[in-house]
Amino acid sequence: MATATEVIPYGEVRRDLWRPLAGASSRYLVALVVLSSLTCWGLCAWGYQLHKGIGVAGIRRPVFWGFYLVDFVFWIGISHAGTLISAILRLTEADWRKPVTRAAEAITVFALMIGAMFPIIHLGRAWLFFWLVPYPNSRLLWPNFRSPLLWDVTAIGTYLTGSTIYLFLPLIPDVAQLAVRANGWRRRLYRMLSLGWTGSDQQWHALERAMKLMAGIILAVAVSVHTVVAWDFSMAIAPMWHSSIFGPYFVVGAIFSGIAALLVVMSVIRKAMHLEPYLTPHHFNNLAKLLLLMSLLWLYFTVAENLTAWYGNEPKEMNVFGSRIRGHFAPYFWIMVFCNFIVPFVLLGIRRLRTIRTATIASVSVLIGMWLERFLIIIPTLSFGRLYATWGHYAPTWVEISITTATFAAMGVLYLLFSKLFPIVSVWEFEPHAEPED
Amino acid sequence: MFLAADFLDRETALRALVDLKANGFTPTDLAVFSDEPIELPRSVLHRPSHMSLAAVTGAITSGLLTIGFVYFTQYNYPIVTGGMPTFSFWATGVIFYELTMFGAIVTTFYWFLRESGLMRRRRHRAPAPVVEPGVISLRIECPSDRADAARHSLESTGAVNVRTIGDAG
Repeated sequence: MATATEVIPYGEVRRDLWRPLAGASSRYLVALVVLSSLTCWGLCAWGYQLHKGIGVAGIRRPVFWGFYLVDFVFWIGISHAGTLISAILRLTEADWRKPVTRAAEAITVFALMIGAMFPIIHLGRAWLFFWLVPYPNSRLLWPNFRSPLLWDVTAIGTYLTGSTIYLFLPLIPDVAQLAVRANGWRRRLYRMLSLGWTGSDQQWHALERAMKLMAGIILAVAVSVHTVVAWDFSMAIAPMWHSSIFGPYFVVGAIFSGIAALLVVMSVIRKAMHLEPYLTPHHFNNLAKLLLLMSLLWLYFTVAENLTAWYGNEPKEMNVFGSRIRGHFAPYFWIMVFCNFIVPFVLLGIRRLRTIRTATIASVSVLIGMWLERFLIIIPTLSFGRLYATWGHYAPTWVEISITTATFAAMGVLYLLFSKLFPIVSVWEFEPHAEPED
Repeated sequence: MFLAADFLDRETALRALVDLKANGFTPTDLAVFSDEPIELPRSVLHRPSHMSLAAVTGAITSGLLTIGFVYFTQYNYPIVTGGMPTFSFWATGVIFYELTMFGAIVTTFYWFLRESGLMRRRRHRAPAPVVEPGVISLRIECPSDRADAARHSLESTGAVNVRTIGDAG
């Protein structure tokens, strides 16, 4: 299938991809106002929690990890959309990646920013978040380096730094070109971000080398980040958590939800920014096949994890297992299976049904299913502990629901603002260039 | 002084580069400007890079510093470990790994800025020609007594708009 580079002249590509940066349609403004309002509502809810204390959330004995930790794991998973997928496609020199990579890398940075907030929200006394940073405290003790909480801090900090640089590097040539044509504050912003880029061969060479190196490094970091998030659970000797496959299980789930998020975002920007010639059915078809593959892998890990627990028949594990499969949490479990396996398998597995629309529907379904999966990993284990006397249930309050909703809105706001400031598709990467001769 | 010339395609720019090198100009005297990456054969314009080596060095340095930092703090401000070792590679391995990678990331970015010349202050940078879309510009740094030879070489290989840039321009 012909790609945009083969059929559209470069001048036109540039015009098309820069057009969304100018002006703002009424639909854009309405979306921005609605999403900003929801984000503000979430901030108000958090303010209320800070004022009244963590007791306004539904987390209490025995379920000390509620929506906030579910959201944390979910958003860190979504962050695997971008950098990981972009890095894999860049390293394998998949040519179809060009219109996809920046949209994906932006998801990573925003999802990480949102995800990293949740441990701080969960702390309750958020103003003491700096206790997580390694420094000698008032008792001359350093924070405990053995704590998985500190592992999270270093892992997410490294991933956020790497992802931001990975997003920024290929932006430099684009903002340098925009700086020449923009006026006013935009010109000043683009000039500052272009760092004095002139387009010399030395700069292009350095950029390409840096991108290749960063792609390799970021792959290793991305895998480790979600493994570390999985180890937050599996290092605890708790029923259905203490499992050696939790690391790869979480990584697979993260890539799965990440691809789904990328497909949803691509579908929206394609329509809203009229990028039909650049985000073609070819791109959706490739990503849909990848989503289908991840759906099967996810099913394999889910079966492996649950079958082992069931066959072992340990009473403490069977309590949690039973609550998921046929007890209190069973509806959520079977909805999860439906969303994560049945829907993508039918819509994407049957070739005739695989279209942009069905890929988007399957992706939304996967996002719902993966959020439920995070919920089902965290809540049942805490609800059904080792002693019957400590069992209890968790019900989220309006504060947690508001903050959770606000994070989805915040993702939308960040994306809307980003797409107004920077081309959502990397312009310079569209220019075809000859291969080196020796 | 700096000369600049425009080329409408990659092949004529390549011819000019080969000709200039035959006339005694070195890769450090020459720079190609374009609004898109142009692959040039190594034999024509080779730009050696130490970015990979720098990234590995940065990673090792950062990893060793992290080990030293954790070792120092755990022995100088020991926490109660219940009979377990005060300093443990297993329990702190994740932190070593992540900060090793952090070192690689930061060093790669630093080396990119260094090799691309983006870290140099504006007044220390050589002048850059304004590049029109689709055009390839060539900048030659040469003493004034060799400017005519360079100009002749550029014009004979198909350059358009040969001009002097920078303070002398």
